[in-house]
Amino acid sequence: MAAEEEEAAAPPQKRFYRQRAHSNPLADHTLSYPSRPQDMDWAALFPSFFPPDAAPGTAPARVEFVDVGCGYGGLLVALAERFPQTLAVGLELRGKVAAFTRARIRALRAARPGAYGNVACVRANAMKHLPHFFRRAQLSKLFLLFPDPHFKRTKHKWRIVSPAMLAEYGYVLRPGGLVYTVTDVPELHQWMLRHFGEHPLFEALPPAQLAAEPLLPLLPSVTEEGQRARRAGRAPNSAVFRRRPDPPAAAP
Amino acid sequence: ENPTKQLLFSIVKAPGCSSAVILGLFFPCSDESLFVYDCSSAEKQPLGEKGQDGKGTDKGSDDILAFAFSPSGDYFALTDDNKRLILFRTKPSWECVSVRFVNRRCTSLVITAAEDKIFVADKSGDVYSYSITEPQADGKLELGHVSLLLDVALSADDRYILTADRDEKIRVSLTKAPYSIVSYCMGHREFVSKILVIPNCPDLLLSASGDSTLRLWEYKSGEEVHCCQLSTICGPQATKPDQKFTVSRITYCCQGGYVAILCDSIPTVYIFQLDATARQLVYKEQISLKHKGWDIAFEEMGDLWILQEDKEAPLLLYRACDGQWKAVTDDKGLQKMSKYIQDNWTVFEGEKFGLKV
Repeated sequence: MAAEEEEAAAPPQKRFYRQRAHSNPLADHTLSYPSRPQDMDWAALFPSFFPPDAAPGTAPARVEFVDVGCGYGGLLVALAERFPQTLAVGLELRGKVAAFTRARIRALRAARPGAYGNVACVRANAMKHLPHFFRRAQLSKLFLLFPDPHFKRTKHKWRIVSPAMLAEYGYVLRPGGLVYTVTDVPELHQWMLRHFGEHPLFEALPPAQLAAEPLLPLLPSVTEEGQRARRAGRAPNSAVFRRRPDPPAAAP
Repeated sequence: ENPTKQLLFSIVKAPGCSSAVILGLFFPCSDESLFVYDCSSAEKQPLGEKGQDGKGTDKGSDDILAFAFSPSGDYFALTDDNKRLILFRTKPSWECVSVRFVNRRCTSLVITAAEDKIFVADKSGDVYSYSITEPQADGKLELGHVSLLLDVALSADDRYILTADRDEKIRVSLTKAPYSIVSYCMGHREFVSKILVIPNCPDLLLSASGDSTLRLWEYKSGEEVHCCQLSTICGPQATKPDQKFTVSRITYCCQGGYVAILCDSIPTVYIFQLDATARQLVYKEQISLKHKGWDIAFEEMGDLWILQEDKEAPLLLYRACDGQWKAVTDDKGLQKMSKYIQDNWTVFEGEKFGLKV
């Protein structure tokens, strides 16, 4: 980690981090991930939030925002600026893209000491690893911005929104927590609306609250993917869903 | 002891066979009949039915992939490589109740304590429920993992459904609301091969994994309470230096809290005892087999049945005497079942078997 920091205080250049856009989330990539949430060393990613001289008994800082498929880190940078006291983690499956984003955050931290210490990127497979990294009801916001549409029917099970994944999002999100989705693919937008709509743990945010949601206008354009869509003239479709309260434990 | 109690015992031919046979033995009925069911005789899914993607259905074999009794023993269900789910009633006598078809090949199944549903876990990571009260009704999707499921279990009161997958995870969900995950039991470092809720310690879950450990969990909170490194405990007798202890079978007996396990490629049955107060597993002894062990099963009274690949003694019966496990040879049921297997050895030879009591 130290050697990396020394060599790369300059902003990374994309041409050194080329990677194929689609990655198979069901494959066994060689990724490192903690066995359990309590085994994860978050202090290494957010050193400024884990001071060695913290008073004993103070609760350790916990990640609250997760960008699933953070790509080149556009949202993370925006979250760092808007919520400087909240820890946000971006999960990215593609090795080189994750490396780019880590380098980008490193460069930002070096250029502005004291800033961007609350965001980090981890190379991880969100479809398999959420319960490894996060405890039950830990998160307050989850972002699914421009997920890979995996158009072919045989690849639908690679989609980041599915009944199986919704149960996991429901697990890591606290009741009242929010999921933000944005896509420029109308069929995928309908797919996400339908899946979240059908899932008993989620409800779509009513229009009044949607209008008042401060992050929403930002989301379509803050990422690389969003900017690419805008340049191509493809309209973004956004949605926000709230994690409902837990069902009462069923009586036997 | 209830004198009219039936001892239900079946030997089921498991993966690797071209035809499948179930044997059931009941006693102390006067008519000590063996129930034999040849799965290859059951109806097959009509050919020509296309799968979801327009491809033809692939041809499977009649190998039985998973099977289970209901907790009372009144029902028995199995699923095979031809994607059949066959339900049997065992009282007043064994009969086939229904043959249904599942979407994907299954790896494990469990019947509710209420005996109203069968939960089947499949290779695509999904769990479907099939009604027993309506034995012809279609399956209903209950929950899904992203990766292949290796085992499924229920808490004793049917309130929780537990699923174990190849990506190290054990998930605990509400049976009536399976989209609601109550907890994960995280800690295994390899695929989780077997899970078992301890019937007389209903908050405890026992799990086995490719990481050569047996773990005890308080599953509602996901907290691991004990981890047994099999390589340390059973290791000294191991043949290879880095021997893996991948548990392929676990059986539990409430009488005495005994746990018996079989590991892949190791001809030994290891016996542990659960100390429920301390929530620990204590290693007791091992039973060396001269031949490969196929399966093990405890019966309620505490006797341990072992099925092994040996024509001379395919079935072994062990009983605990003063805490030591000793072989029993004069049991009528044992002799009768052994004789049947020996008489039909050519059918059984070279194949893998399963045992359920």
